[in-house]
Amino acid sequence: MDYKNIEELLKRYWECETSLEEESQLRDFFSKEEVPAHLLPYKDLFVYLNKQQETGLGEDFDSRMMSKIEVAPVVKAKRLTLISRFKPLFRAAAVITLFLMLGNVAQHTFLSNDALDYNYNNYRDTYDDPDVAYKKVSSALMILSEEINKSQSTSLADSLKANADSVVKE
Amino acid sequence: MQEISFRNDILPLKDKLFRLAYRITLDRAEAEDVVQDTMMRVWNKREEWSTYDSIEAVCLTIAKNLAIDRSQKKEAQNVELTTEMEQAADASGPHDQLVESERLQLIHKLINELPENQRAVMQLRDIEGKSYKEIATVMQMTEEQIKVNLFRARQKVKEKFLAIDGYGL
Repeated sequence: MDYKNIEELLKRYWECETSLEEESQLRDFFSKEEVPAHLLPYKDLFVYLNKQQETGLGEDFDSRMMSKIEVAPVVKAKRLTLISRFKPLFRAAAVITLFLMLGNVAQHTFLSNDALDYNYNNYRDTYDDPDVAYKKVSSALMILSEEINKSQSTSLADSLKANADSVVKE
Repeated sequence: MQEISFRNDILPLKDKLFRLAYRITLDRAEAEDVVQDTMMRVWNKREEWSTYDSIEAVCLTIAKNLAIDRSQKKEAQNVELTTEMEQAADASGPHDQLVESERLQLIHKLINELPENQRAVMQLRDIEGKSYKEIATVMQMTEEQIKVNLFRARQKVKEKFLAIDGYGL
């Protein structure tokens, strides 16, 4: 074994000039059984450094940690999913209302232009108070009679005019 | 950016975090609390995980800061260890009578006797095998400062270790 190399590494180790690979090389060397007497004083240091890599926390820490992070903050996570959970619902509701509205519009345009109903038996009262109904009807008839009178008088006048013309011609 | 999961990426860091916290606080229970607090903090910032370069460096930095906060509240610890160590050195008799584990205990005390920053840097370099750049991010120092700290730490360990060894012989 070439101890010169190790001695050189050790010297550079104390000067902090060794690379990470060289340092692990040193630790490997000193954790072996046979170490020459003049290097023996340093053995324990590197054995110690090597052994320290093994200390740590037990398995029970994992479960304790996982239960800790699952107790408090998950409530927060739930609140987030509640909001996002409503999103598709809103979307579905919007689509459904849209379809309903379209259906209504379609019904109105396609079904409302059927022929007038001539069956008088199906007619229903439009006024509750007979007086009001009477007034409406009489005013309507009044307008009608007025118009008829107007047209009759004008047609009479027209025919008179026509007669007068023919008389003039004769 | 890769998706980070708590169980697969952060929980396995517990040993590294524990070792660093233990090295700084010098108290197992305290170090375990530090690891727990660190993980809680990282967990509460989980929206930011994707923005981190290295989740490990972030965890180590938080653990280091928490551990230093805690150990500053228990300052007396260092003095306590020094006296204990001297007694141990005095009591240490001939070299071959020392059981190996006792010598390891001695080194443990030697390293823990270093100032906080030095032993933290030595922990990260010599035990965790981190590059100077990584240590600089974790310790929030420049690479130069890290090298200085490491140099002092190694020199002191070598000096004291050889001195105690000399007494033993």
